[in-house]
Amino acid sequence: MSSSESPSRQAPTPPHGLGRLRHNIKKSLLPGDNATRIRTRRRIVAFAWRYLDMLRLCLLSAGCLWLLTLPVSQLGVDTYIDENALQPSQVNTYWNWVDVHRADRLLEDVSLLRERNLSSVERATFFATEFAKCGLPSSTQTYSIQTSHGTLNGTNAYAVFSAPRTSGTEAMIISASWKSMTGGENLRGVSIVLSLAAFLKQYSHWSKDIIFVITDNHLDGMHAWLGAYHRPSSANWDAEPLSITSGVVWTALNIDYPGHSFSHLGVFREGLNGRLPNQDLINSFRTISQQTSGVPVLLYDHYEPSEFPGREGIRSFYPSWLPNWLWERETILEYGYRAKNILRHFAYQARGRASGPHGSFHQYRIDAITLFAVPSNGPHGFYALGRAVESTLRTMSNLLERLHASFFFYIMTTPSTFLKIGSYLPSAVLVAAALMIGGLREWVKAGWVELEECQSGPGKGDAADIPSSSKKKWAPRRRDLLDVFVVMAASHLVGLTLFVIICREWLDIGLLSFIILPACWVVLMLAPWKSPSLDSSVSTAPLHTLLKAINMCLASTLISVSSVLNFSLAALLAVTLGVPLSSASPSDSLPERGIKCALYTTLAFGWLAFHGEVKQGIWDWEVLGVWFSPLVCLVYVPLVLQAGIISSLSP
Amino acid sequence: MRLATAFIVFVLPFFLVVEALDAETVEEFAVRDLFNRNVNAESSHTNNWAVLVCASRYWFNYRHMANALGMYRTVKRLGIPDSNIVLMLADDAACNSRNHFPGCVFANRGHALDLYGENIEVDYRGYEVTVENFLRLLTGRVEPSVPRSKRLLTDDRSNIFVYMTGHGGDEFLKFQDSEEISAFDIADAFEQMWQKKRYNEIFFMIDTCQANTMYSKFYSPNILATGSSRIRENSYSYENDDDVGVSVIDSYTHFVLEYLEGVNKTSTTSMKDLFDKYDPEIIRSHPGVRSDLFHRPLERTLITDFFGGVAHAEVMHTGPPHLPSSTLVPPLAQVDSITEDEHMQVEVLHNPMDGTGDHWVGLYRAWGAVGIMGLLVAWATLNTKW
Repeated sequence: MSSSESPSRQAPTPPHGLGRLRHNIKKSLLPGDNATRIRTRRRIVAFAWRYLDMLRLCLLSAGCLWLLTLPVSQLGVDTYIDENALQPSQVNTYWNWVDVHRADRLLEDVSLLRERNLSSVERATFFATEFAKCGLPSSTQTYSIQTSHGTLNGTNAYAVFSAPRTSGTEAMIISASWKSMTGGENLRGVSIVLSLAAFLKQYSHWSKDIIFVITDNHLDGMHAWLGAYHRPSSANWDAEPLSITSGVVWTALNIDYPGHSFSHLGVFREGLNGRLPNQDLINSFRTISQQTSGVPVLLYDHYEPSEFPGREGIRSFYPSWLPNWLWERETILEYGYRAKNILRHFAYQARGRASGPHGSFHQYRIDAITLFAVPSNGPHGFYALGRAVESTLRTMSNLLERLHASFFFYIMTTPSTFLKIGSYLPSAVLVAAALMIGGLREWVKAGWVELEECQSGPGKGDAADIPSSSKKKWAPRRRDLLDVFVVMAASHLVGLTLFVIICREWLDIGLLSFIILPACWVVLMLAPWKSPSLDSSVSTAPLHTLLKAINMCLASTLISVSSVLNFSLAALLAVTLGVPLSSASPSDSLPERGIKCALYTTLAFGWLAFHGEVKQGIWDWEVLGVWFSPLVCLVYVPLVLQAGIISSLSP
Repeated sequence: MRLATAFIVFVLPFFLVVEALDAETVEEFAVRDLFNRNVNAESSHTNNWAVLVCASRYWFNYRHMANALGMYRTVKRLGIPDSNIVLMLADDAACNSRNHFPGCVFANRGHALDLYGENIEVDYRGYEVTVENFLRLLTGRVEPSVPRSKRLLTDDRSNIFVYMTGHGGDEFLKFQDSEEISAFDIADAFEQMWQKKRYNEIFFMIDTCQANTMYSKFYSPNILATGSSRIRENSYSYENDDDVGVSVIDSYTHFVLEYLEGVNKTSTTSMKDLFDKYDPEIIRSHPGVRSDLFHRPLERTLITDFFGGVAHAEVMHTGPPHLPSSTLVPPLAQVDSITEDEHMQVEVLHNPMDGTGDHWVGLYRAWGAVGIMGLLVAWATLNTKW
């Protein structure tokens, strides 16, 4: 601070270091003479204008290359615990074999529930009774969620343990869903939650109430329960109000334990619409799991390259034609491992999909993760998991305020390293900058036309007649935006119609893609819009220039805004929109136009071919309120369509 | 018969005189001996005070509260009464809901000693621990309504022990995450105290990161200061208790408290002994000592001059002078003056009738005996027919 101030303070004397450098640059760029200064500035502007395309290309390729460098290990930073109050892994745990035994007995009962194929109401009643047996106030909650494909029904069970020595203004949640993310039943996850309820109740050192929730299904049960906890009602779901509530929930752990034993605990963190929990929670859990219960922690269920299946997993990630000697190199292996983690993260976050029931918590500003007991033949079981959960709860109980100190914007590359926002954000923003510069250049081009100056005065000569030796001159022209807006509104209307169709499923999605692709192509090719005459292009800007300007600026804004909200989505948009929108241009030849239109229509509607994916996206939107599918239909499709329209025009 | 008379007349008075003189010397020596045991101390204070400040709050700062409570226990053990201890403590550890041992604060792994146990008197509690309250306490600028337990009722014969702990940095100490006190603030407060004759000597001890910077700005006389770590150096906690779940005490304070455990009320251990024991290896930081403002040699400055409570008192000369009583046992009130011969003489000159009765009784008795002997000699001479 003081060193940077010192040059300015001693202004009369020649400054040192940075100050002198600045002084020299100033002197060369901005000389005292006004005329020279203006000349220099013009020179710079002219230079930039001449190499503008080069600049755009550089930005575009830099952005895309940056994305490829994200898995490089040099970019990663080691994780650390930022919040002082957490004090992870500093307590003795009291979870013992008695409690493991109780969990085993409960597991037998819970397994019976599955074998007798009981309804969700009966199951939830059983869980509530088990909670009540521990002496906890417990209850069930029935919910139904309306979707276009029918109604989702389920029943959750929950219990509240009021911390004996506090006022109960804050709470933390331990939950398990009936369905595991593997598709089977989460029997052991449910059993350990029931056993934990009996165990945790014995202690008075909790500073927050502990809420135990066993939700139905996989994602929707927790979504409905949390919705009822925080809001009175919602449009698309109808959930019974909760009869027992507690304070403000700060943190939550969701347990997913599908196998009979586990070797690692995997952390799933992605929430709905790309939200992430505070990194402190993940780091604390990792510290506790490794130090207190001796269980190594993974990202998702990806084994590290140093462990047995890790190498093979990463090898399958690389294309098979890659020579053996290459992928066996440690750096390549490490790159592959990190790329695998980042891609898994991108796959969840870009689509706004939650990687587990914890995903519904983040929208209520609750930091939550799912602990996934990676199925294996051993060596860990209830004992290790119980200790890890107990110690994590002690750490969460230590909190004095919500988690806020560590990162909310990060990409985990390994369990112990992550990318800071500064090291990944520029990639998408560079692409957005390239688009914005392109858009602005089109806008300037639309406003000005380069004319040959005629001797006969201000008449508008035909370009071909003018001898090339005559002087050139820039003349302003009108930018008529009405046509552009009509075209844009039409393209967005197409997107909206598409969205309604796939939501209501008026047409089978597979069929839809067969219809809409050629139809759109035909419409584009037979477009009624005529290319303007050269006469009018002198006085008013041509449609394609204006459309391209607005289209690119819109895309750029979309990418830069979404890059701070959901980076994976921004990166996806940057990759899919960056080059196609930049290269959209009208052409004279009909076959070229035909090919271009076909490419753009494929890009706009090609995703309809992924039938299951589309259905999942719609389900996410209707049940969990994920914005991805409306965004694709209402923003992405129209933007690409507009690029198609530009290409279908003649210059 | 004559011989017997002569014996009585000449020899007995002599014995009487010797007896009287002898009795006086023995008593005095005994008393001198008792109270001159600490003759090296050269301390001229008459009362001891302790100001113990824990500037942190919250559960994870448990160790700072344990630091302050450890000091509190020690000064109390060495004789400073609760009325002379001002304890500033956030006090949210013992009854914190996160505490596995409700109502207890331990400073050691294994829960051997409950510092919060029996008799804790926290004078400034919770949000009362502020920079303003601390400075008002030191300088005595308090509202009339402030109770005596929250005041530092010191005078120019008071030795004050000021202990601070918390989270600090270069020339500042944080108070409860909301404000800081700077080294200049404390230095100025001490100067005000000096000008207002609120202390005789101050012993300032601080345990925080970069603690030694906190006493670097002092400029008032008679201040001895020590801190836990140098500039740009952290102070570390000593150990963690796995049932409590947090660190229970800081390394430097733990070291000092361990040392003080070997000191009792009559100990002649000096400050130099303590400072010489400082070991950066054990403490894990470099403790500092500042003694340039302190005018006594450290090897003659007793630890109990600050940590102990002196029983010495000084008699004020406001009451009517009283004549010496017949008893030979000197009143306790005078003991203090005996420890300093010069002081006694000054007092004698100012008010020869006051106080030093044992001496005068001895003299009266000696001269009385001589007078009686003279009278007897005269009587014997007059009555004797040679």
